[in-house]
Amino acid sequence: MFRQGDVLIIPVPQADVPACAPVPRDRRGRMVLARGEATGHAHVVGGPGLVLLADLDDPERMFLEVPAHGRVTHEEHGPIPLPAGHYRVVRQREYIPGAFRPVAD
Amino acid sequence: MRLTHTQESMAAAIEDQWLAAAMETGPADRAAAEEGVREAYRLASAEPPERIYWFGSPRAAAAAAALLSGPVDPIPEAPGTTSPPPAVAPSGAAAPQAGAGPGSSAVPPAGAELGLGAASLAGAGPGLGADSEAVRPPVGAGPGQEIPEWFAEAQAELRRQGWTPGARAGRSMRGLVRTAPWAAARKAALVALGADGWAQLSAAAGRRSWPLVMDMVAGRLRSRLSEDLAAELPAAGPAVLDAVYGQHDGAWLSTFEAAARVCPEADLMTNLAGLARVARHSGWWWAFERVAVLSERPVTLARDNVGRLHRGEGPAMEFTDGYGLWAWRGMPIPSDLAAELPSLTVDRVRRETNAEIRRVMLEHFGYERYLSEAGATQINSDETGTLWLLHLPGDEPLVMVEVINSTPEPDGTSRVYWLRVPPQTRSAREGVAWTFGLTEQEYQPLIQT
Repeated sequence: MFRQGDVLIIPVPQADVPACAPVPRDRRGRMVLARGEATGHAHVVGGPGLVLLADLDDPERMFLEVPAHGRVTHEEHGPIPLPAGHYRVVRQREYIPGAFRPVAD
Repeated sequence: MRLTHTQESMAAAIEDQWLAAAMETGPADRAAAEEGVREAYRLASAEPPERIYWFGSPRAAAAAAALLSGPVDPIPEAPGTTSPPPAVAPSGAAAPQAGAGPGSSAVPPAGAELGLGAASLAGAGPGLGADSEAVRPPVGAGPGQEIPEWFAEAQAELRRQGWTPGARAGRSMRGLVRTAPWAAARKAALVALGADGWAQLSAAAGRRSWPLVMDMVAGRLRSRLSEDLAAELPAAGPAVLDAVYGQHDGAWLSTFEAAARVCPEADLMTNLAGLARVARHSGWWWAFERVAVLSERPVTLARDNVGRLHRGEGPAMEFTDGYGLWAWRGMPIPSDLAAELPSLTVDRVRRETNAEIRRVMLEHFGYERYLSEAGATQINSDETGTLWLLHLPGDEPLVMVEVINSTPEPDGTSRVYWLRVPPQTRSAREGVAWTFGLTEQEYQPLIQT
C-alpha cells in the first residue's frame, strides 16, 4: 500500500471492486483522489489507461484500475509510482467521540 | 449519451465557477440581481414585483418577508409623534431601488429617526432622541417575549425603503419562480441527455458542489436561522421555508448550465436565466406576488480545508448587519462560548461539563498544548509516531497520535500533526492504521510521502 499525506492507496483483488462508475475529471482534465478546499491542492492520479472509479452505491468510496502503471502527485508531497493492479483509495479520518470525520490537513 | 473527457472537464469548470459564486463574499450587485428577479418573474409568466427591498442578512430579510406577508405584526408606531410618510418616496409607479448602492445610500436622516422612533416608542418608554435600547412589547414574538432589537431595525429599514405598514406582499412565488422551472428543466435534461448522460453530467458538474454548498454552508445557515427565529421571533420561522437560496442555488444551477452547454438545442437554461442571474449576484431572497426581498451576501465566509465552516476568532459566516454564525470545523458554537475561546485555560476546559463544547474548546486551545499543559502520558512510540493519553474527568480519555509528515517542508523542517484516535488505542501504529480504517497488522505502507 502507498501513502501520500492523508490519502492511502491499498491494493485489492479485482473481485473486491464493486459496481462502479468513472469519477469525472476536474476542469483541468485531471483525476483527483482528494482535494483541499482551502488550499486548492489535490492528490492527482494519472497513467496509461488508468481509471478512477467510484462505488455506485457509495460515491465516496473510490477505486483505481491501473492496467500498466500510474503515478500519484500532490503539491506538498513527493510523487508515488503505482504498479499495475486494482486499488482502493482511503482518505484519512480522525476520531471524535462516538464518530469520525475526515482530516482537514 | 456518454460524455467525453473534454465535456467532463467543461462541466467541472462550470461547477468551479458556480462554487466560487456560492462562496462569494462582499456587496451584492444590486442592479444585476434585481434584473434577475424581474426576469425570473417574467419567465414564470408573472408580473415583476412592484418593489424590491434589500437587507443586510437573511435574518433581517426573513423577518421582513414575514412582516410583508403577514405572519408577523409590525411593532406599533405611536401616532402623531413621528412624521408618518415613508422616507423613500415610492411616487406611485414601481420605482424599486435599482442600482442603489450597498446600504441603500438613499436613506435620509428622517428615515433613520423614524426607525429609531419605531423601536423606542413602541416600548412606551423614552421618547425620540433617547437611546433606542428600549423596553419592547410582546408583538409578533411569542407570548410574553421581547421583540428583538434586530427586528425593530428590520422594520425600520423596511419603512426607510418605502414600505407602509399594512401594505401586503401577496402570496409566495417560490414555487413558480424556483421549484417549477427547476423541475421542468430536470425533465427536459433527462429527455435530452438520457438517464445515464444526466447522471454522468450531474456527477461532473454537481458532485462536489452539493455537499460543499448545500450541506456545509446553506444547510448550516438554514438550521441556525430557523433556531434563531424560533427562539426570538417564532412567527417569522416559516419564512425560512420560503427562502430562495440566491448564490447557494449555484449548487444545482451548475449542472443545468453544463447540460445546456452539452445540449444547446434542449434550451435548458432559458427558463432558469433569472434565477441564475440572482444567484450570481446576491444572497438569499424571497419572492412574493407584489414584492421581492433580497439579502446581501456574507462579508466573511471562513471554511477549513474540507469545506466546513470554521473560524475561532469570529463568526465563520458574518453579514453586514452583524448577523453571524460561529462554527468550529462545521460544528456550530453558541456565541457566549465564542467570546470565551480566546482566553481559555486548561482549568476552564477541564471544568466544562458539556462534552461537545469541551471538544470545541480543546480543538481551539490546541490538543498539543493541552496535552503538554495538562500533563499527558506518552503510552507508546514507534516508527509511525507517538501515542499520547490524557484522562479527562467524567469523559472518555483523550488519546492522540502525534505524526510527522514524511515529506519535509520547503524550509527543511517536518510538519508535525495530531490526530485524535479511539480511546482504546494502544500503539501509535494502531492509531495511524485506524485513521485509514485498517488494523495494525493491515497497515503496511510501502512508500510514504
